[in-house]
Amino acid sequence: MPDFMHHLPPGLIMVVGAILLAWVGKRLAAAGALALSVISLVVFCLTPQGTYGQIRLFENTLTMVRIDHLSFIFGLVFHLAAIMASIYALHVKDTKQHIAAMMYAGGAIAACCAGDMITLFVFWELTALSSVVLIWASNTERSYRAGMRYLIIQVGSGVLLLSGAIIRYQETGSIAFEHFLGLKPGDTASFFDFGLGAQLILAAFAIKCAFPLLHNWLQDSYPKATVTGTVFLSAFTTKLAIYSLARGFHGMEELIWIGCAMTLFPIVFAVIENDLRKVLAYSLNNQLGFMVVGIGIGSELALNGTAAHAFCHIIYKALLFMSMGAVLKQAGTCKANELGGLHKSMPWTTLFCTIGAGAISGFPLLSGFISKSMIISAAAEEHMLPVWIVLLIASAGVMEHSGIKIPFFAFFAHDSGKRPKEAPWNMLVAMGMAAALCVGLGIAYPLLYKILPYEFHEGHEYVPYTMAHVVMQLQLLLFAALAFVVLMKSKVYPAEMPSENLDTDWTYRRLLPLMIGGFGSFVGWFDSSLRKFFVENLASVRKRAGKFFGEAGILGRPWETGAMAVWAAILLGICLLVYYF
Amino acid sequence: MNDEHKNEKHGVESPSWFERNVNTIIIGLIVACVLTVLAQLVFPMFDEHHPPHFPQYENMIGFQAIFGFAAFVIVVFLGKGLRLIIKRKEDYYDA
Repeated sequence: MPDFMHHLPPGLIMVVGAILLAWVGKRLAAAGALALSVISLVVFCLTPQGTYGQIRLFENTLTMVRIDHLSFIFGLVFHLAAIMASIYALHVKDTKQHIAAMMYAGGAIAACCAGDMITLFVFWELTALSSVVLIWASNTERSYRAGMRYLIIQVGSGVLLLSGAIIRYQETGSIAFEHFLGLKPGDTASFFDFGLGAQLILAAFAIKCAFPLLHNWLQDSYPKATVTGTVFLSAFTTKLAIYSLARGFHGMEELIWIGCAMTLFPIVFAVIENDLRKVLAYSLNNQLGFMVVGIGIGSELALNGTAAHAFCHIIYKALLFMSMGAVLKQAGTCKANELGGLHKSMPWTTLFCTIGAGAISGFPLLSGFISKSMIISAAAEEHMLPVWIVLLIASAGVMEHSGIKIPFFAFFAHDSGKRPKEAPWNMLVAMGMAAALCVGLGIAYPLLYKILPYEFHEGHEYVPYTMAHVVMQLQLLLFAALAFVVLMKSKVYPAEMPSENLDTDWTYRRLLPLMIGGFGSFVGWFDSSLRKFFVENLASVRKRAGKFFGEAGILGRPWETGAMAVWAAILLGICLLVYYF
Repeated sequence: MNDEHKNEKHGVESPSWFERNVNTIIIGLIVACVLTVLAQLVFPMFDEHHPPHFPQYENMIGFQAIFGFAAFVIVVFLGKGLRLIIKRKEDYYDA
């Protein structure tokens, strides 16, 4: 490979190639996107770890490419996700979706290999601008509006990032993207130890990472994107934020509790959500929580767990979104109350979805088990009992919404009578690849452990398959499944019904317009009363003035010449007196 | 019973393997649950290389079993409660 290739940001091939896709025609665009992802992966794997593409800009050095242990694992899984999603989208004839998807994936890969804040900002914004096309491509009024909200929030995150980077440059004179306090794994710090610049940057990451109360753009927009678009969306934006947090803020103690909250609240929302792609969006939020906890703990084991979990999560989450996308495409709906019994006509999709559901729940021999258990063990090793308990509750919650609810209500449950055809071959191939990776990672886990950011010290290797791990995890999951059976049989389990469940987006979709409308009518009322007051008073002033200056008023009526002369003489006399004294 | 699976387009359809074996699957699940608790009694869970971090809980027989069951039920009931507060009509935001 020519040397200059190392100096180009990884993923740039996809970004530039995406533009060329506009000219290759509808039939070749999909294949072109897949080819771009594969070529980019090959180039990425052939680039040795190190820093490249350094450019002097004014007083500073931009480092466009930094491939180290942390960025490599994210770059690798981003490429795998792009390849699987491209195969999944091979049947799509809409060229703009392929262009947007490639720019988005390429931008995310380049962003996670950025060595400085400016490069990070540029690609951060590129992911926002390109990904919104995947939401708009649904061509509905709802998707247009959701896309607008998404864009405002994502670009807002970019603005915070740039502001933070500028302030940090003022504070420290550095634009490098490193840990903002220079901590090593195992060190801890508090939010207040960071400068204002870093705090603003954290806010930017927090938005993209869907922290509690900042999360709702995710559940609002992802289910409204196209069938294939959601698969791309599920992989990149939030995991780029996870990578950035892990790079810049590991060991920040507040993240542990933020992560715990993130693992818990979405599972309750997921129980009552009817749109299965929205259930997956809540589930995604919950999975991010596990990773944020890992980043907050900040030990080598926790950070390895975070990276491993992000890797496995991207694959099984893409698989779950792919299977629900296949259902949406073939059955025309993704609403739980309209589905059921699809296993009869979509057996392969059912199988792949069940594997994904098993993987996310953390069943032994599947990928979720070997990554999630690492984060839970990291919490246990630090003797954080409350965190350990929260993560166990969250694990049971994952079993509820992703492990059981998704496959059960789509493919089993009561028979909806729908008999859609099996998904097209390309979708099945993509799902099959993802399912194979879920099983492969669960069994051949040492391959993944080898590329984790921190090497395990001799004698301290992490062993996922201990008797205790396997038995305890099976107890947790199987008894959770038993609880589901009991609740279903006793008809206590909440029925699926069409509804819109309010979340924090209510504040800007209803409350804010109401407040703005209310403020508007207050201003209108104030304005009209003020005018009325003046008009009324003006009329009375006119009336009074008329009294004095009108034709009959004392100052307005014509005076006799003699009287005028007398008054003039008096006035002159007064002036003389004033002058004299 | 078969009437339920009649589909106008497809005529009479025989129940699938899943539909025929729902009870078997449930029994299998119960057996598996019992086995996981028995396994904790039979096999040694911890050794000096992998000691328990919270022995008071991890050494308790069936701790995670009770925990998994209870957490699941609580999450579902919380969901039911939450639905009372936040559920609106499907076209809430379109109106």
